[in-house]
Amino acid sequence: MTKDAVDICIIGSGAGGAPMALELGRAGFKVVVLEKGAHYKPKDFVHDEILNSRRNFFMPLPWEEPHLWRQGSSGRYERTNSAWTANCVGGGTVHMSGYFYRLKPVDFRLRSTLGEVKGANLADWPISYEEFAPFYDKAEAELGVSGEARPHPFAEPRSGPYPLPPLDVHPIAKEIDRVCGEMKWNSLTTARGIISKPYRGRSACSYCALCGSYGCEMGAKSGTNASVIPAALATGNVELRPKCMARSIEVDKEGRARSVVYLDADGVEQEQPAKVIVVSCTAVESARLLLNSTSSRFPKGLANGSGLVGRNLMFSSFGESRATFRISKQKASRPWLTAPDPFVNRSIQDFYLMPDERFGFRKGGTLGFMWTHPNPIFAAVGLAGSGKEGVFGKELKDRMRAYRDSRILQFEVYGEFLATPGTYVTVEPGVKDKYGIPVAAITMDRHPKDFAATRFLVERGEEVLARLDPDDIERVGVAGETTILQHGTCRFGKDPATSVLDKDCRAHEVPNLYVVDGSFMPSAGSVPSTLTIAANSFRVASQLVRKLKKG
Amino acid sequence: MARKRSSAGRLTRRSFIQRLTFFGGGVVLLGSTACKRPAEEPAQAAAAPPPVENSPHATFTGLELATMAAACERILPRDEDPGARDANVPAYIDRILQTPELKQMKADFLQGLAALERRSRSMFKKGFVEATPEQQDELLTIFKDSGEGTGEGHFYEILVVLTLEGFLGDPSYGGNKDRVGWRLVGFDTVGTVAMAPPEGYDGPKCLRECGDHR
Repeated sequence: MTKDAVDICIIGSGAGGAPMALELGRAGFKVVVLEKGAHYKPKDFVHDEILNSRRNFFMPLPWEEPHLWRQGSSGRYERTNSAWTANCVGGGTVHMSGYFYRLKPVDFRLRSTLGEVKGANLADWPISYEEFAPFYDKAEAELGVSGEARPHPFAEPRSGPYPLPPLDVHPIAKEIDRVCGEMKWNSLTTARGIISKPYRGRSACSYCALCGSYGCEMGAKSGTNASVIPAALATGNVELRPKCMARSIEVDKEGRARSVVYLDADGVEQEQPAKVIVVSCTAVESARLLLNSTSSRFPKGLANGSGLVGRNLMFSSFGESRATFRISKQKASRPWLTAPDPFVNRSIQDFYLMPDERFGFRKGGTLGFMWTHPNPIFAAVGLAGSGKEGVFGKELKDRMRAYRDSRILQFEVYGEFLATPGTYVTVEPGVKDKYGIPVAAITMDRHPKDFAATRFLVERGEEVLARLDPDDIERVGVAGETTILQHGTCRFGKDPATSVLDKDCRAHEVPNLYVVDGSFMPSAGSVPSTLTIAANSFRVASQLVRKLKKG
Repeated sequence: MARKRSSAGRLTRRSFIQRLTFFGGGVVLLGSTACKRPAEEPAQAAAAPPPVENSPHATFTGLELATMAAACERILPRDEDPGARDANVPAYIDRILQTPELKQMKADFLQGLAALERRSRSMFKKGFVEATPEQQDELLTIFKDSGEGTGEGHFYEILVVLTLEGFLGDPSYGGNKDRVGWRLVGFDTVGTVAMAPPEGYDGPKCLRECGDHR
């Protein structure tokens, strides 16, 4: 049935959707937020690995809501649950680790900086870091970010300190500072979307150690579920509808977006008309929704006359190594090793941009240090190995006992993931999810420079690990990608021939349609993108409020 | 911070199982590959029925339960530290496979278990439960090395993953009795108190209610 029209209908309640709801609600507009997942409350967030990480609490089951994945356009599709970010109010910000880095000025002009990179669809952003920075300030304040700015060659300009002081860290952080100093590298404090002190009625972090991949029962993690969404609901102008899955966006005769057709919590089809429709379901799922929204006016999908929706998909290039410290061997020289502090919060960005092509690339990235995740089932499945290398019985138990005698430090590399013509999202009409909606199909063909840069960064990280005198260093991988960080499928830009959205993230072809998740980003940056998505959403909201108030 | 994928061309099931969903936990994949299951279960009268486990069970018949428990015990045998049976892993597996979403896994598991029993009879002329520990290990190794894409390899994978879940999961699911699993890997020494779910937490119930997105 058709509901009463509202001013704004937002699809998705994560880093992109929630700030729009807050700002438009504050400005007095009637807002409806559709969220396909459940609205979890703090009491739902328990330290239960089976519930959180091994079933469908956050991620859909791959046989109910698959993504398809293939390597290259001639590859065979496989069903996977990769490239889902979350299914709940707050989206991926609920179970994120909350590494809240900013992009750097160079990320906004990557094409100008690097020149043409063969095989990559590089583009500058239509706005500069300077225009964007005030919204970083706003996002940091609204969500709650703990950190401290330290000077280094690639430090992005800031108007002031972080809203909250940095979180306490494990003594190993001092060691990382020391060895970085020896190498003349800058050890930085990783800013976190976790509040270190009580803030705006929220209680501070309790250092429980189960952060990433879990919801925060303290409300200290700055997911939109704990910060922006409650503030939006408090305006009285925002209605949140969980367990509502958008099927399509309908258009009127003029080609304006008219309404969102969705399945409600009972599986009944509903229609929500709105003056403005905002899409924010992650770069993969937003592309899927637009491509599934076909009409006589938009036969290739909504806002897709250019054929660019779903193109230029980018994830984040990923590498990882681990250093194991045997407690029994190191306890005497490092009595602090077993301190329970869960955070390391150290990063290196000295290789964010290289001076020349000497290493086969110029755009590098970020190294972030952390303890390995304490989830025991996950760790043990890793210890058991697989196939011919797999072990069971006494060998497996010996490995589990050795694990008990270990503290394992790791770093993650966030490298530039260059957009290529061969990496994109389409929809596959023959494969439907449990709602009967055609699923997103992802084709991957990565740029060789991604791998060169990521490998280089992994080697630098291993230099740091080696200087810490661990008992063992293990390279986990140099050629992966983080599919939870998604960007680029509806690029913003000045030219409708090369971009889907304009400078304000409004579709060139549909004047009342906005996309505010990572889809808008022409380059993904070499940091996790959550804070950037939230900041951009505040930016888009401020423009939209201004426009609507003018009438 | 995020889910990682190996970039090796084809994804194996194993990489799927192991892939992080944000730091720390693959979702278990239920493949469609299954061991061939005979149209009719071989009459169990062919051999003397093995002793039936006396614990209440819902997913398995008595013979299946005994076979499954014996297999789990070989994955994590009791030595100087507790093993799978000590942790009540069989009870965990029996309960978790009642989860509606895991229907496919349950079917795959039962098929694999039947294949394991058949293989034991053809190789050693006795059921898996009566086989010696060495023979049981030999059988499990054959399944392990069958490789991905085979029903045997898939069953071995589910067996290991479920055994580890039962051994190291929250005790509310029926396994990890007295937290013996957490003690073995030292999970009880890292930030202990804050890690425990609240008093009276019912994992399976929460899984049905919270984890249900419909």
